[in-house]
Formats: sequence, C-alpha cells, structure tokens
Amino acid sequence: MLAYTVRRILVSIPVLVVSTFIVFLVVINSGDPVANYATSRQPPPSKAAVTAFARHIHADQPVVERYWNWITGVLHGDWGPSVQTNLDIGHDLFTRFRVTVTLVAAAMLLALVMSVVFGVFSAIRQYSAADYTITFFGFLFLAMPVFWFAVLLKQAGIWFNQETGSQFLGTIGEKSPYLEVDTTWNEFTDRIGHLVLPTITLALVSFASWTRYTRASMLEVLDSDYVRLARAKGLRRGTVLTRHALRTALIPLATVTALDIAIILGGAVITETIFQWHGMGEMLVQAATTLDVYRTMAWLLLSAVVVIVFNLFADLLYAVLDPRIRYD
Amino acid sequence: MRAHSSALTRGLALTAGLVLALAACSSGGGGGSGSKGTSAGLTSCSTEGKADTCNSAATKAGGTFTYVIEKNVQQWNVQDTNGNTFENAEALSPVLPQVYVPQPDFSVKLNTDLVTSATQTSASPQTIVYKINPKASWNDGTPITADDFIYYWRTNDGKDCPPPPASDSTQTKGCLPESTAGYDRVRSVTGSDNGKTVTMVMNRPYSDWKSLFGAGYPLYPAHVAEKVSGAGSGDAAHMTAAQMTQGWQYFQKNPPTKYATAGPYKMTQWVDNDHATYEPDPKWWGQKASLQRLIFKVISDATQEPIALRNNEVQGIYPQPEVDLVNQVKAIPNVTYTIGDGLTWEHFDLNLHNPVIGKYLALRQAMFTAISVKDIMAKTVAQFDPGVKQLYNHNFVPGQAGYKDVVSASGQGSGDLAKARKYLTDGKFTGVGTALKTPDGKSVGPFDCRYTTGNQIRQSECQILQSDLAGLGIKVTIKPIGAADLGTVLAGHQYDIIVFAWVASPFPISGAQQLWTTGAGGNYGGYSNKKVDSLISQAIGETDATKAAALLNQADQLMVDDAYVLPLYQKPTFLAVQSRFVNMRNNSTNVGPPYNVGEWGLKK
Repeated sequence: MLAYTVRRILVSIPVLVVSTFIVFLVVINSGDPVANYATSRQPPPSKAAVTAFARHIHADQPVVERYWNWITGVLHGDWGPSVQTNLDIGHDLFTRFRVTVTLVAAAMLLALVMSVVFGVFSAIRQYSAADYTITFFGFLFLAMPVFWFAVLLKQAGIWFNQETGSQFLGTIGEKSPYLEVDTTWNEFTDRIGHLVLPTITLALVSFASWTRYTRASMLEVLDSDYVRLARAKGLRRGTVLTRHALRTALIPLATVTALDIAIILGGAVITETIFQWHGMGEMLVQAATTLDVYRTMAWLLLSAVVVIVFNLFADLLYAVLDPRIRYD
Repeated sequence: MRAHSSALTRGLALTAGLVLALAACSSGGGGGSGSKGTSAGLTSCSTEGKADTCNSAATKAGGTFTYVIEKNVQQWNVQDTNGNTFENAEALSPVLPQVYVPQPDFSVKLNTDLVTSATQTSASPQTIVYKINPKASWNDGTPITADDFIYYWRTNDGKDCPPPPASDSTQTKGCLPESTAGYDRVRSVTGSDNGKTVTMVMNRPYSDWKSLFGAGYPLYPAHVAEKVSGAGSGDAAHMTAAQMTQGWQYFQKNPPTKYATAGPYKMTQWVDNDHATYEPDPKWWGQKASLQRLIFKVISDATQEPIALRNNEVQGIYPQPEVDLVNQVKAIPNVTYTIGDGLTWEHFDLNLHNPVIGKYLALRQAMFTAISVKDIMAKTVAQFDPGVKQLYNHNFVPGQAGYKDVVSASGQGSGDLAKARKYLTDGKFTGVGTALKTPDGKSVGPFDCRYTTGNQIRQSECQILQSDLAGLGIKVTIKPIGAADLGTVLAGHQYDIIVFAWVASPFPISGAQQLWTTGAGGNYGGYSNKKVDSLISQAIGETDATKAAALLNQADQLMVDDAYVLPLYQKPTFLAVQSRFVNMRNNSTNVGPPYNVGEWGLKK
C-alpha cells in the first residue's frame, strides 16, 4: 500500500501542475486588474502609480514566465502579490483555511451522524411512513438552494433568539466582537452559537445525499446471505444491525464522504458569504471580484491539494475497510 | 413497531411544520409591530434644512454601538492612493483629526477641536492662517503643532516625497498621495506661536483651500513618523524623502492601535477583516464620547445587514438601498431610517471615440433629448425613494452652494421625442424613427449600452434608453459588464453608451479637473473642449468661492451643449439605526455617517 500511496502522490504532481496552469490561463484572461485599478479609484491614480501597480502584480510579464515564477515561488513559500496592498496571501490563505476547516469539519460530522442515523432507520423501516418522510426531506434538502436555505435558517435563528430572549444564535461571523462578561465559558458558548446555523446549512446538503447512500447500502447488506446467517444463528437484532450489517454498509459511505469534500468546499463559498465567516469561500469571492490572480490561484491550489488528498484517503480507506481490496 | 414508526413520523411532521412556519415567518418580515421603522429619529433628515441637526438628542453614558462597514481595511493610510477607501475614512474618523469636516448638507464645517480658526489673510499671495486649539494634543501627550501640518503638506505635494518610480514594483519607495491637488500649489507652511499658529502661503491661488488638511483625509502624527524614520523630533520641515517614505509606509501598515491618535475615541483592537473596537479616549480634550464602546464591524454582503440589524448583532447600517433591503428594514421594530440623496450620481456617458457618436453633435443632442429621465427614475429608484429628483448639473448637487440647473433648458433628459427628431432632421440625418442614417448615408448604430452585471437598476436604465432611442430609429444592444470588469471597459473604451456613477465631492472644482479636462484620468469618453479646460483651470485658481462656482457652471453649460454626459439623479443613500441611539445622521459625503461619531450615544 505504501508503494501505491507514493505512486498516487507522484501522479498527482503533474495533475496539479497542468490543472493550475490551465486555471491560471483562465484567471488571467478573465479581466484586467490594471484597468480596474486605474478606473475604480476617485481621483484616478497617476500613470506612474498604474505602471507601478502593473509591475507589482507582474502584469507586465509573459504568461508562461508569470506562471513559472508563481509556481516556483509557492515552493519557496511566496504566494505572489495581491492586488490589495499589504495583503500577505500565504498568511491570509492559512488563516482562512483554519476557519473553513472548523466549519467544514463541524458540518461533515453533523451530516455523517444524521445520515447514518436516518439512513439506517429508513432502511430498516423500508416503505414505512418514516421512510417516506425521510426520503421526502432528503430530496427537499437536495433541491433547496443553499443561499435560500441559509437565509431561512437565519430567520429561524432570530425567531429562536427572540422567543428565548437570548442572543445565543449568531447570524454573522465566527464570534461576537465583544462579550459583556469575558469568560472562557462565555466565549465557548458564543462560538458554538455562531457555529450552529452555518453548520446546519452546510451539513444538510451532504446529509441529503449521504442518507440515500446509507439507506441503499444498508438495504443491500440487510438482504445479503451473511446477515441472514447471523440472524439464523440467533444473534440479537441490535448486534446483527450494528456489528454485521452497519459496518459493511458504511464502506461506500466512507468513500463517498471523502470524495464529497470538493462539494462541501464549494458549499462553503456560499455559506461563508451569507454568514460572513472569513474563510476560504469568502476569499475566493473577494479574489474573483477584484481580479486578484494570485489569490485565486492560492485558493485553487490549496483546494486542489485537499481534494487530491481526500481522494487518496478515500481509496486507502476503502482498502482498509474492505479486506477484498488490495493495492499492490 | 408500528407505534415506533408513528412517533417518528409525528416528530418529523412536527419538524416539517416548524420549518414551514419559520419560512412563513421569514417571508412575512418577522412581525412588524411597534414603530415599524419610522420613528421620528432619522425621518426628519430628508426635510430641507434639517440634514445637519436631525436625530439630535441628549445622550446618557454607556452602551455599545456596532456600525457596519462594508469592506476590510487593508491599508491604513487614507492619504495614499491605495488606502483611499470610504471604509478607511470611516474607520479613522473616531481617532484622527481634520481641519474641515464635510457635513450632511454637503457644506464643510471647521473642526474647532483641532483649530479655533482658519482664515484667508491675503489673496495675493493667497495666505491661510490656522490657529491650533491650545488644548489639542496627541494622546501620548505630544501637542498638535505646525509640525503635523508641515509633514502632511510635504508628503502630499508630490515633490518633497516623490511617488515611487515605475520600476519600483513594491510601490514602497516613495509617497503615493491620492491627490496632490492644492498641496502642489503651496509655497510654504510655517509655524509660529510655539507651533500653535500655522501659516500657509500659496504659490498659485487655490479655490478649494478648505479641502486641505482634512475633508476626509485627516492628519497623522508627525512625531510618530519622525521617530520611526529616525528624523529629528519636531523637524518635519527637514525630513528627507526616504524618512517621509518610512513614515508613509508605517501609517499604511499599522492600524491606529499602534500609534498616538487624537479623537474622541481610541482604537483598542483591530481584528483584520472582522472589526475595530473603540473606547472613549480619556485624553480627548473636546466633548467626551458617551458610548462605552464603539465597534465597526465588517459585513461585506449588504443583503445580510438587515438580518444582523434585526438580530441586534449590529445597531447601525449604511448599505446601498434596494427595494428588498429597504422593505426588510422597514419591518424591523424600533429602527429608524432615512433615505437621502447622496453625492454619488448616476449618468449615461457617450463614448466620443466612436466615430459616429464623436462626429455628430446633433446625434448626441438628439439621443440625450429622447431619453426620459423621469421615466427612468419612476421605474427604478423612485420605487423605494419617491423623493428622488432629476439632477441638472455635472459638478454640483442640490444643496451645494454652486448648484444651478444648466441642463433642463437644453431639453436633455426630457424624453421630448419631437425635439430630438428635429435635431436629426435639421442635421440632415435620414431614416429618423425607422433606421437612422448619417448625412453621408452610413447607418447609425447599433450601439451597445453597457451596465454592471447584476445591477437590476442599471439594466432597467439601459432598457428604457433602448426603448427611447428606438423612437429615433437607433437600435441599442444591452450588454452587461462583468462584476470586476468596469475598469477594463472604461479604460479600453469598450462601450458606446454606458451607465455608471461618479462620486461628487464636497469640493467639486478640483474634482471637475479629473473628469472633464482634456486627457484627464477620469475622462474615459475622450471629451475635449479647450474652453472647458480653460474655465475649469480658472475656477481652480479663483479664491472667491462664488466666482469659482460661476466659472465651473459656465464650463458645465458648454459640456451640456456638447452632449457628452447626461446626469440622471443622485443615487439614494440609506442609513438605518436602532432608535434607542441618537445623533447619527446620513452624511453621504466621503466621510460617511461617522463624521460626528463623538456625539453618538444612547438616548437619554
């Protein structure tokens, strides 16, 4: 498996180089940040300032040279200049990455727990009212646009706060700018209060599809010979479900979860914007709207690495969970 | 087993019901009891003569007020071309002083906390004497003196601390002021009376001298720049360019938490991309701030601001108004709001680089005459701002001393199709009303009308223009511009007709030079009229404000005759605050509502 892992990592390097170069071409041709700089300020900057700005963002260099300088710079920890003065892209990227990881991890955990619970329940109560209800909500959440659902949840959060006379649920940011009584417990609850709504928003989309996977997988396993055998041996129902059926049924979910990381990161772009979390999603939006080439590329590179790592992780996990799979 | 299932079903049904109930609740606006957002507070601000005094009340000590700014502050030197953002000016308002402060009625007011007087003592050479308030000092105990004025002048005149050379890709080897206007005309700035009297003598007269050392661009502490650059203390007059550059860079990179300030508040915390926290500065010699804490919170998505206001996470917002947003705020109890006419004005521009548009004056006059601005307003901004009025000047807005209607006599913007057609027939155009052709038989159009994508109002404006010009036989194609591509389109002249907005200035005369004179940076459509250039130049050098405004209006009249830009209306601005707080007002100049932040507080 080690050789397989190393081979996969080596294969992913040219994939990264080619994909980043293609995206680099797309990004630098998507607009002219120098013209944007020259016209978006009032009073307009001097010609000297515009020329200096063009040099600052390397707009005066040929495309291939720009790309080469960027990719080699990244290897040395230099992520390139931003169109925003004083912005260190590397620092910005990893600060935001931590924010996004917090949100994505919480959302994935919630989505996993819910999808296993509801997926299994739906399978063992196949064609019952509960199964139809879960199925209905699964498709509803799948069909709902994230931005709309997020706004709906925000309103629900405000309603909750008003009904309870509290300020527990936050609708913007990771935490409040200040606390009247600044204790560790208050800070913890404040952060949790700000995490609830964006986590639910981000989790429900994945929950919807993962529930369907769990249900389908569980139904397949429940119908298999070895489960029938386990029942025939007189094992308790709970033991059959959890130790025999569920463990096997979770194998496809584990891989789907790892593969879905790209979708969740995509969902985070919208969720972070609506909840004003200053994570990678917001970074991408800002970079795109300000034609910030290197900031966009930084986002893309880190996201691509995360997706590649999780894809690899999914493959390896599959081998660990399913003894029939062996990588040579 | 059946019972088990039913219980779950009931639970899920209950959840579904709750979700749907919440959905219904949200679409209904969440109640609407109480004052329905129209408390007396800000509503009187739109009454003529009340802009500077509305929402006034005595305050009591305490309270936290969180005000929304819509962009992060990445660069803290607001005098620098790259730090010259509205949000930066707002964030610095509570902590840095300026001589004249733009007011909500677009006038400027002397900041007597900083200077007790600012007087023009001679017209030739133009000489201004500032008397610094004897109590004025930075909060580290260093008095505010002429040294601070000298440092300001020398870093902004474009000569003593020259801009970074084009070869300097880091843009760190020099000072890059947002504008040298006025400072480049100063011959000397000297101190006397122990540094508390500042005398500024001009090389050439400058009509907008009140814009100097303020008007949204405050003073920075010279002694801090001297210290970080190793220059002699109190000796800004002899700082080298390299030393001034060091100071300039220092103020770019550091928020005011790091250096001495002089305002009713001191900034105690800056969390990048999130918020600034201010607390009353005990060293402030003026009227003490009554709030316990002031927070400027970054919310970059304006549509989220009403929700945050409703959830009491913020107490004041200043977004660009739209129908949905205004309606949301109206439904929030105990919130007062006002829609005002701002200094930003919407306009149609013609690209004179287009050979047909540039060549035929009669065509341009006909196009502008056929456009009905009233119709445009009725179908766009008037839906949430019924008081919006057509703008009839390119440099002044109603309320400013120089405002004069120079447009309506021309019929431009009237939608008078008969008059518009007459321009064309008199100009020997053919196919008027069907398929317009120039006198030499070339087709007129189709022309592109460009607007920024996602801006529904501007899309509608282009659609109405399209319909109006069809009456002349001109076909118009509507083409959106990518969110970040406005600059590319303007600089590359990639339009025939474009709708966007300019931010007018409390000092319109120097602003006019940047927009209308031949080859100026903001003159994207290629307009050139030597008489206009000359009149604007004369206006800038005129020390009598009334005469300067008259000269500018003469230039404006020529611009109307040339039919280059059609003013539409002042873009509405929108301020909403919780009604338990007072003294916030809609200042739509470049300083924004925080112009009087020291007066903000809880209503007594």
